[in-house]
Amino acid sequence: MNVWLDRTVRVLLMVILAAGMAACAKKKVSPQAGVGPAGYGPGDMGGLGAGGALGADDARWRELGLNTEAERQEFLNQAQRFENEDIYFDYDSYVLTEPAKRILDDKLRFLKRYPKVRVTVEGHCDERGTNEYNLALGERRANAAMQYLANAGMSTQNLNAVSYGEERPIATGHDEASYARNRRAHFVLNN
Amino acid sequence: MPFRLRSRTLALCFGLGLVLSGVIAHPARAQKIEIDITKPGFQRIPIAVPDFKFQTAEQPQLAREMGELLSADLDFSGLFMPLDPRGFLEDPQSMGVTAGEIRFPDWKRLGADFLVRASYQAQGASLRMEARLFDVVAGRMVVGKVYEGEVRNWRPMVHRLADEIIMAVTGERGVFDTKIAYVQVQGRVKEIYVADFDGNNPVPVTRDQSLALSPAWSSDGSQLAYVSYKEGNAKVYVANLHTGGHRLVAGFPGINIAPAWRPGTNQLAVTLSKGGNPDIYLVSASGELMQRLVQSWAINVSPTWSPDGRRLAYVSNEAGNPQIYVMDVSGGQKRRITFSGNYNTSPSWSPKGDWIAYSGMVGGRHNIFMVRADGGEVRQLTHGEGDNESPTWSPDGRMLAFSSTRQGGAALWVMLSNGTGLRRITRGGGQEMPEWSPRMGGR
Repeated sequence: MNVWLDRTVRVLLMVILAAGMAACAKKKVSPQAGVGPAGYGPGDMGGLGAGGALGADDARWRELGLNTEAERQEFLNQAQRFENEDIYFDYDSYVLTEPAKRILDDKLRFLKRYPKVRVTVEGHCDERGTNEYNLALGERRANAAMQYLANAGMSTQNLNAVSYGEERPIATGHDEASYARNRRAHFVLNN
Repeated sequence: MPFRLRSRTLALCFGLGLVLSGVIAHPARAQKIEIDITKPGFQRIPIAVPDFKFQTAEQPQLAREMGELLSADLDFSGLFMPLDPRGFLEDPQSMGVTAGEIRFPDWKRLGADFLVRASYQAQGASLRMEARLFDVVAGRMVVGKVYEGEVRNWRPMVHRLADEIIMAVTGERGVFDTKIAYVQVQGRVKEIYVADFDGNNPVPVTRDQSLALSPAWSSDGSQLAYVSYKEGNAKVYVANLHTGGHRLVAGFPGINIAPAWRPGTNQLAVTLSKGGNPDIYLVSASGELMQRLVQSWAINVSPTWSPDGRRLAYVSNEAGNPQIYVMDVSGGQKRRITFSGNYNTSPSWSPKGDWIAYSGMVGGRHNIFMVRADGGEVRQLTHGEGDNESPTWSPDGRMLAFSSTRQGGAALWVMLSNGTGLRRITRGGGQEMPEWSPRMGGR
């Protein structure tokens, strides 16, 4: 089961990497693209359209500096984790909590290991505030995460912040558990 | 004033064509009443609106529909209390239309202070409507008007009549030709729509399949600024409602949000984070950056202008949580005006300049409040039924539209500015961030 899942994820990932490349050429980028629990998860399959050329994208691997199959597999595994782990914030706050810092330290290791990746840091809020204030708050959350990485010596050249305010909740319930999951910064790999 | 909307886009948008009006006779001046519907003891004026009288065999159903729409408008205004037509004594299709034919004592006995008597002729696509407002107590005509246009424009024609009636009684035109722009949620997509003030005729302004937010009307109602993610992150665009064209006006690095037109000018206040902090700037409608208006280390968003364009109310969290501030634009002095509660946002400055409506959190719920522009007095208008957000004033300052979840999904509601007369104006849910238009064509 786990082996099957792993394989599925890897194949999907390659498809998505390829499709992601194609999507870069599109003029209009809808905000849905790359937003969600994980850009590398199976849930995004439908939106990107299966059936394109699979991940034999040597240029991309060369850009990332990944030459062997083993290196690539390891990258894919770590990339999935990188995107799947969000950091969470308190209500009306953009202060990094201790657990959030530990997750960022993890991300830092990934970014140092793969310095060529380009990352979008998305800032999100729960639905309770007002849209405009939350757009500003979401940006502050994304910036707080970026600042932490910069303070640790990361170049922010390949990092890019986008705030979605309360517009892209990951949990749609109207309870504190859902709100807490929505007060987050989410990380998306762009290459 | 008769006006014509030249472009097809707008005619399509607003369902308006040519509606001409004329005066039947020089009526006696109505005695203007000083009316403040926000005063607690205000009594609505009883008015009788019988079905309109059809003078041709065509479109007989309009007799009732026009009467009902006029009643709904007059009721909506908060000034009038339309009487139940089931109590009327005469058959509206045989009853007369001129002062000499009206049985004023009968209407007086029914409790009506005013009576609207109207007839219409439908011929093919064209419609001619004649309407008279009678002061039942004095037994005389107050307003007499003739309207000509197309049958399909019967609604704007009736709205025009309602405006005249409000004008005759209060000295200020009604708001029945106005629109409300808002955000329509469609799954993960949000588009900007414009509908009539009563929620009818919703028409999309954006069709980007993206996130569109924060619509804001220009002073003459011809342009709508909004925020969209259609190019990746939040940028400010302006839609020209005459041409249907859209253009980018603020697309700096960071967020570009919360547009608000400075009254009577071609400039907008917007929140930009291009300088690292979300501050409020002035930009021209052609996209020129003019000056920074509000600057601090804090979040500064949601600007709203005083009617004279000299002061700006906005939201800042410089005190630790979001509160409303007022800034004098020329001098730069700012002053906090909300002190109760720890989440006060979405300010909207009233067209008369005296009040600022806003959304404040009480017990975890958003409610609509209004505060004097100098912070002197606060009134709570909604009381914990769902979340109530994004208040916006009607151009006459008598009403507020807002979004509310009191019946489930977010919908648009309108209330009088004293918190009474609530009515839901949109169906189906998913409507938020309403923005009431100015009077169209600058009337």
